[in-house]
Amino acid sequence: MATSRTSRRIAALALLALAATACASEKATGGGGEAAASGDGVKTGPGVTADTISIGMMTDLTGPYASFGKSLTNAQQLYFQQVNAAGGVCGRQLEAVVRDHGYDVQKAVAAYTEIGPKVVAMAHVVGSPMVNAVKQRIEADKMLTIPQAWATTLLGSEPIQVTATTYDIDMINGVDFLAKEKGIKSGDKIGHLYFEGDYGESALNGSKFAAEKLGLELVEQKIKATDQDMTAQVAAFKKAGVKAVLVSVGPRQTASLVGVSLAGGMDIPFVGSNSAYSPQLLPTPAGPALLKDFYYMTGGAPIGSDLPALKKLADDYKAKYPNEAIDSGVAAGYTAAGIVVDALKKACESKDLTRAGVVAAHRSQSSWGQEYGGTMDFTVFDKPASLRSYVAKPDKDALGGAVVFKDASESDLVKEYQVPVG
Amino acid sequence: MSKSTLLWSVALAAAAVVIPFYLDASWLQDGLFAMAAAIGAIGLNLLTGATGQLSMGHAFFLAVGAFGYVYFASVPAEGGHAALDGLGLPTPVAAVLAVLLAGAAGGLFSPIAARLKGAYLGIATLALIFIGHFVMSNATPVTGGHNGRPVPPLEVFGFVFADTPDAPLVIAGVPFGALERLWFLGVVLLLGAGLFARGVLRGRPGRAMNTIRDHEIAAGVMGVPVARYRAGVFVLSSMYGGLAGVLIALVFQQTVPDYFGLLLALSYLAMIIIGGLGSVAGAVIGAVFVSMLPRLLTRYSDALPLIVQPGQEGVGAAEAAQILYGLAVVVVVLFLPGGLLGLVTQLRLRTGRRIASAPAAKHSLTPTPETRN
Repeated sequence: MATSRTSRRIAALALLALAATACASEKATGGGGEAAASGDGVKTGPGVTADTISIGMMTDLTGPYASFGKSLTNAQQLYFQQVNAAGGVCGRQLEAVVRDHGYDVQKAVAAYTEIGPKVVAMAHVVGSPMVNAVKQRIEADKMLTIPQAWATTLLGSEPIQVTATTYDIDMINGVDFLAKEKGIKSGDKIGHLYFEGDYGESALNGSKFAAEKLGLELVEQKIKATDQDMTAQVAAFKKAGVKAVLVSVGPRQTASLVGVSLAGGMDIPFVGSNSAYSPQLLPTPAGPALLKDFYYMTGGAPIGSDLPALKKLADDYKAKYPNEAIDSGVAAGYTAAGIVVDALKKACESKDLTRAGVVAAHRSQSSWGQEYGGTMDFTVFDKPASLRSYVAKPDKDALGGAVVFKDASESDLVKEYQVPVG
Repeated sequence: MSKSTLLWSVALAAAAVVIPFYLDASWLQDGLFAMAAAIGAIGLNLLTGATGQLSMGHAFFLAVGAFGYVYFASVPAEGGHAALDGLGLPTPVAAVLAVLLAGAAGGLFSPIAARLKGAYLGIATLALIFIGHFVMSNATPVTGGHNGRPVPPLEVFGFVFADTPDAPLVIAGVPFGALERLWFLGVVLLLGAGLFARGVLRGRPGRAMNTIRDHEIAAGVMGVPVARYRAGVFVLSSMYGGLAGVLIALVFQQTVPDYFGLLLALSYLAMIIIGGLGSVAGAVIGAVFVSMLPRLLTRYSDALPLIVQPGQEGVGAAEAAQILYGLAVVVVVLFLPGGLLGLVTQLRLRTGRRIASAPAAKHSLTPTPETRN
């Protein structure tokens, strides 16, 4: 009896399947993958219709970089809204397609497959493992992509635009800063604490180069992202007698390193990569130590700087998201959105809003972003877009928890440096 | 095989053939992830569900399969930072070798696997994850280091499992890209893996494995070579892991060391517990549940009430998906001790109105003959 019921049900299912087969498959009809010219004479491709332009964001809202990812997403939504309020781009409204990958490679690959065919560009992708996992597809799709990571391994790909400096450039400028203003001289030892992986290793390339050029001895300490307590590393630095320490790790490790060092009487300057600091550290017990003699290098201006564009951004952001903390993701996201939208505008001028057209338009700009504190050159993709780094210093009262300590500059050292690519 | 099983098989086979003609690439990819997970979970279920040996190191064998395939199949190349080695073997050979390599890795570990049991083995296998991560990150010529390396597409008798823009393959008006082609490969592999495991479980070895799980001493007394069986199952399970790894690599098109971590190993354990311990169907159901549910929720949770668009105040779709997924896992573990398969069996009993005559549905934590395929 059960069998006959089951078979009846299966027969019904089979009928349904047949009925479905009888209708033409939507896939078979092609879909809008091909480039086409729309009514206004603008060539369009995936992600662009007659009245909207869809832009993707692959972000981390649930993983280790959730607060950074949220700031990036908020800031980019804000930018798109402002552009839309001013009439959009090419007579079209901008629409964000956001997917969370929670810093998981599989989810990132799945997200790219899902939203990739529907968008014209990626306004941000968090995490270099995630960018690397979909790099081949980004290149095949010619999808303008702004990664929110600054490793040199991301260079050398036409559609991928790393913003401003890479980690190694920051470290070279950082060593130069130590030599010029912190009295580090030839023969001295400096330490470098770094993560294994391309973040730390990119940074290490820079510090090695600078140390060799200035005749410094580099004391390396490599840690894993899961390591939390830096006591052993501090002891090693102390034993070696370092005069300063470079820091290319996460904010938590930075807090441990700086706090433990100061408690152990090692009162020396610390210079971090831009990912080593987060304003969330200031209320922690490590706060006072960070305020003392810690600096971090960044290619993009910190939001606490005096640039009018950033001041306006901070006000707009606070008005729209009154309960959100402001961190480095706000300025980074806003700037990246600006890069994508300007590429779209340029592409519109040449009446080609296909992905390839957008990348070509983007690559035609040689000095972008003066209002955000430093121009970037997008015409080459095997070099960082900028060689100038700010020296920023944590500050309790400043917006975003940091102020500009020294304006963006390009050291003489960095001009001789050959950036490794790929 | 009963008539209903036969009919179900026909219906499933028809669905498997029809699906790639209708669903878009992203669904196919999710399906492929689920298939690869199912193959891996079947292997783990042989070990953990059927033999009672806990393994936290399953992700390691996936990694061996994935990186093994890439190494065997790649032609040596000058990379950006370092040159990448490779043997440049024909890809099907490379795939088979990669599975054997995973088996060999399991074999190297099997002296330990044969002597330890339960939680002790779990902790010992945990070491594999960390060793694996260290090797993957540092053996750059083989693994490509932190960024991994591109995966050469599989090519069987001139048929390439990849996008071929120059010579597109169109069947019934549907363009067949990499994912459509891989879909059929995945179906075949999963079918083979499932049938083989079912044969093992239903035959003499399966009974021996279950006896070891339920009562080790009794098994020994009855003449089951306990240590040899434990070692053997461990090797078999690592080969399943290796096969899953090869399929994952083919879908990813790029191997990424970070993926094969502790979280992946734990999610495999979650799959077999949620699906139902000790059976092939349980592993498959669990794998589909664990790999598809978060994706489904992420995709559709913005249609739920109280969910805001990303970039607004409140609970976003991504957070909601995580909360719902967590809830679902808790509900399954709390209320369905036999896993989802137990639920299916129960429903079948009920709809068949055989509840009165059949023994009451089993709710024991160890799988019962009813929940086993």
